[in-house]
Amino acid sequence: MDELDLLKKDWNSGSTEFKSYSDSDIYPMLHKKSSSIVKTLFYISIAELVFWLLASILPYFLSSNFREKLETSYENPLFLGLSIFSYVVILIFIYLLFRSYKSISTTDNAKRLMESILKTRKVIKYYVAFNLFMIFISIPLSLYFEYNENPEFHQQIVEFSTNQMLVLYGFVVVVAGVFLVLLWLFYRLIYGVLLKRLNRNYDELKKLEV
Amino acid sequence: MNKELEHSFVEQLQKHQNIVHKVCRLYTNNADAHNDLFQEITIQLWRAYPKFRGDSKFSTWMYRVGLNTAITLYRKSKRRINTQEFDTVEFKIKAEEYDDTEEQQLKLLYQAVHQLNDIEKALVFLYLEDKDYREISATLGISEVNARVKMNRVKKKLKTILNP
Repeated sequence: MDELDLLKKDWNSGSTEFKSYSDSDIYPMLHKKSSSIVKTLFYISIAELVFWLLASILPYFLSSNFREKLETSYENPLFLGLSIFSYVVILIFIYLLFRSYKSISTTDNAKRLMESILKTRKVIKYYVAFNLFMIFISIPLSLYFEYNENPEFHQQIVEFSTNQMLVLYGFVVVVAGVFLVLLWLFYRLIYGVLLKRLNRNYDELKKLEV
Repeated sequence: MNKELEHSFVEQLQKHQNIVHKVCRLYTNNADAHNDLFQEITIQLWRAYPKFRGDSKFSTWMYRVGLNTAITLYRKSKRRINTQEFDTVEFKIKAEEYDDTEEQQLKLLYQAVHQLNDIEKALVFLYLEDKDYREISATLGISEVNARVKMNRVKKKLKTILNP
């Protein structure tokens, strides 16, 4: 006899008795908090939205110096355009995130459920990538802006020797690099731990289709 | 209205709870984890219930949500780590009573199934529940042919685990 058939016989014979829950055991269960991966993912994405929004808004409220600078920079159509663009993108991301969460359904088949969760995670990833990209273009842009608008800064840069310029470039590159690596590690850690099992199971299902 | 819905849900779940217990039996190793997973599947079933239209059987619908929760949604809780494992407790008692070969074989079989990965367990589960390949393929989202191929591989793998 096949091993599985032996197991099947036992499985259906009722020998594996479980504690039977009564109605009154089940009612409270309905209102307990879920600890599902989708919920965790949802909290992380909200945290990320809030974090990046705060990162762009807080300096404006905390530093009057920065506020003044920002207000003058808005006179520059490039800066104004970029700011409007980034807010539009945030709105688009919120919409996309909302839509992909709605599409996660526990009544889909296993593969499709995994795909919709991974798609949601991808939306978050793009949002973060977008923010990083904005930071990276805004650093040289604001340096350039400073250079043109701030006579003191302009003078300083002009007086820099080649060596000093090299040190400045090197410094900017190193700081940016460390920042990137830290962020990358941080994301690997959160999503790596959270989605390790899901990725493994998804790969297992996908392997079958090859 | 909501109370009515809750009532009909609890009534049906109570009746079919063995399906959920069986999913927990395959995917967890101890009582705490078992109860934890049971709880999570119940929450997911309840959330999906308003969309359950009754065009499929309640039990069929439970298989899908239950397995999806066990394979994909459930995050193992930390409580699980230091508790004694089911199989050792359960089977120690039985082994002391008599040394029946079928009993022994079953013990090893259950242990072998626990060594399978999540997807393989799902296949075994649906097979044990007497589901045909059409339903297995629809539940997991793979083709019928691939479900059959995979099932054969699982059987082979079980044999290898049992007779290394």
